[in-house]
Amino acid sequence: MSAPEKSPFIVVRGLHKKLGSQEILRGIDLTVLKGETLMLIGPSGEGKTVLMKHFIGLMRPDQGEITVDGVNVVGLREREFAPVRKKVGVLFQGGALFDNMTVEGNVAFPLIEAGVRDYQEIRQRVDEALELVELSEHKTKLPVNLSGGMRKRCGIARAIVGRADCILYDEPNSGLDPIVSDVIDQMIVRLQKRYGITSVVVTHDMKSVFKIANRVAFLKRGVIHFLGTPEELRQSPDEEVQNFIEGRSDVTG
Amino acid sequence: MELLRLPGRAFLDFLSYMGQLASLMAELGRAMSLGVWRLKLVAQQIVSIGYGSQAVVIVTGAFTGAVFTFQSYMEFKYYGVESSVGALISVSMCRELGPVLAGLMVAGRVGASMAADIGTMKVTEQVDALRVMGVHPVDYLVLPRFLAMMISMPLLIAESITFGLLASYMVAVFGYGIPKPWFMMHMMDHTNMEDLLCGMSKGFVFGILITIISCHQGLKAENGAVGVGIGTTRAVVISSLVLLIVNFFMSILLNYVFPLGGAA
Repeated sequence: MSAPEKSPFIVVRGLHKKLGSQEILRGIDLTVLKGETLMLIGPSGEGKTVLMKHFIGLMRPDQGEITVDGVNVVGLREREFAPVRKKVGVLFQGGALFDNMTVEGNVAFPLIEAGVRDYQEIRQRVDEALELVELSEHKTKLPVNLSGGMRKRCGIARAIVGRADCILYDEPNSGLDPIVSDVIDQMIVRLQKRYGITSVVVTHDMKSVFKIANRVAFLKRGVIHFLGTPEELRQSPDEEVQNFIEGRSDVTG
Repeated sequence: MELLRLPGRAFLDFLSYMGQLASLMAELGRAMSLGVWRLKLVAQQIVSIGYGSQAVVIVTGAFTGAVFTFQSYMEFKYYGVESSVGALISVSMCRELGPVLAGLMVAGRVGASMAADIGTMKVTEQVDALRVMGVHPVDYLVLPRFLAMMISMPLLIAESITFGLLASYMVAVFGYGIPKPWFMMHMMDHTNMEDLLCGMSKGFVFGILITIISCHQGLKAENGAVGVGIGTTRAVVISSLVLLIVNFFMSILLNYVFPLGGAA
C-alpha cells in the first residue's frame, strides 16, 4: 500500500519529554498525514506510548510543538482540549472500558456525553459500531465477562462511534491470538477504507506492520530513527532496524 | 542545615498538598458553574453514600447515646441530678457526638470507597479514557459525589443524633426508671434549634472535606493495585484526622454563631 499525497493531521516538531531524571523523548519530528495508517515501532520503554499520549494532551511536552488538525495543542488547558479530543479516538492498551457499564453502555457513552439525546439515533449508531467490530451478540455483557480480544474490539467501537477523524491504537494486537490479531488488523484497514480514518498504531507486531501500514516510524533512543514505507523498512541497511524486524538480540552464546 | 532539611521538606510537602486540594476545589467550583450536574449519577451516589451508610451511622449513634447515658447516669445520681441526663446527652449529641461520629463513619466507609473507585479507574486508564472523550474527570467523578455528599451528610448526622437520643431515652427511662416527663422536660429545656443547626452545619463542612480529600487520593493514584491501596488508606486516615481537628475549631467558631444555651 502506498499513501497518496495528503495534508498533515498531526505535526510534531522538536518534542522533548523527561520523566523523572530520564529523558524519554529527545527531539521528535513527525508528521501524520490525513487518512494514512502510521505504525510506531521500537523497543519497549523507548517512549512510543508517551509520544502518542502527547497527541491528545494526556501528557504535556517539556519542549516542542504539536499541532492536531491545524490546532496548536501545546499550552491548551484541560477543558480547552475537548474540541481536539472529539476528533481523535483512542484505543488504550487494556481497553480502558468502564467496568460498571455494559458493552452497549460503554459504546454509547461518548455519544451521550457529546449531547446526543435522540435514543433511537444512539441505538442505531451503537449497533452500527458494534456490528463493525463483530460484537453485536455481546452488547449486554459487562467488560469483566469479555475476553482480551473482545475488550479491544469494544474499545475500538467506543473510539469510532463518535465519528472521530483519527484513531490512536496503543498495542492493539498485544496478548491476542493470531486470528483475533488479524481481525483487529482487518478492522483498522476497513475503517481507513470505509471512513478515511487516520490511524496511528503503536505496536510490536511486525506481521501487522507489513500487512497494514502505509508508513512506519521506528523510535529509538528518543528520536525517530527511521521513517518510511514498510518496503523501505524491509530494505533498510540500518543494522538496528534489521535486528528489530528480525527479532535478533545482540546477546550471543 | 541537615537538621532543618527534614522539617523543611515536610513543610513543603504539606504546602504542595494543600495547593493540590485547593486546585481540586477550584476545579470543582468550575464544574459546578458549568451547570452539567448529571443528576442520574448524583442519585446513584445518594443511594450509595446516603442510603448505604445508614446502618453504620444508626448503630454508632445509638450505642454511643446508650453508653453515654449509662456512664453519666452513675455520676449524675451521685449528685442527685440524674433526671438531667437527657439534657447532657441531647446537647452533646447534637453539637459534637452526632456530627463527629457520623463524620468518622462516613469518612471510613464512603471516603475509602471514593478513593478506591476513582483510584482503580485511574490506574486502569479509565480516567484517561474519560479525558480523551472530552469529559473532565472532576465533572464526571467528583461533582456527583460532592453533591450527593452535601445532601446525604446532614441527613446522616440528623439520623445519628435521633437514634442516639432514642437509645439514651430507652436506657434512662426503661433501664434506670427515670420518669419519662422529667427526662423529656430537661432535654427539651436545654436543647435549642441552635444546637441542631450547629451539628447540621458541621455536616456540610465534613462532607466537603471527606469528598475533596478522598477524591484527590483517587485521582492521583498510580502504580496499580498498590497505589490504590495506599490512596484508600490515606483517604481514610487524612479525612478522619482533618475532620477531628476541623471539628475542634468549628466548635469554637460555631459557639459564637450559635451560643451554647443561647436561646434558653
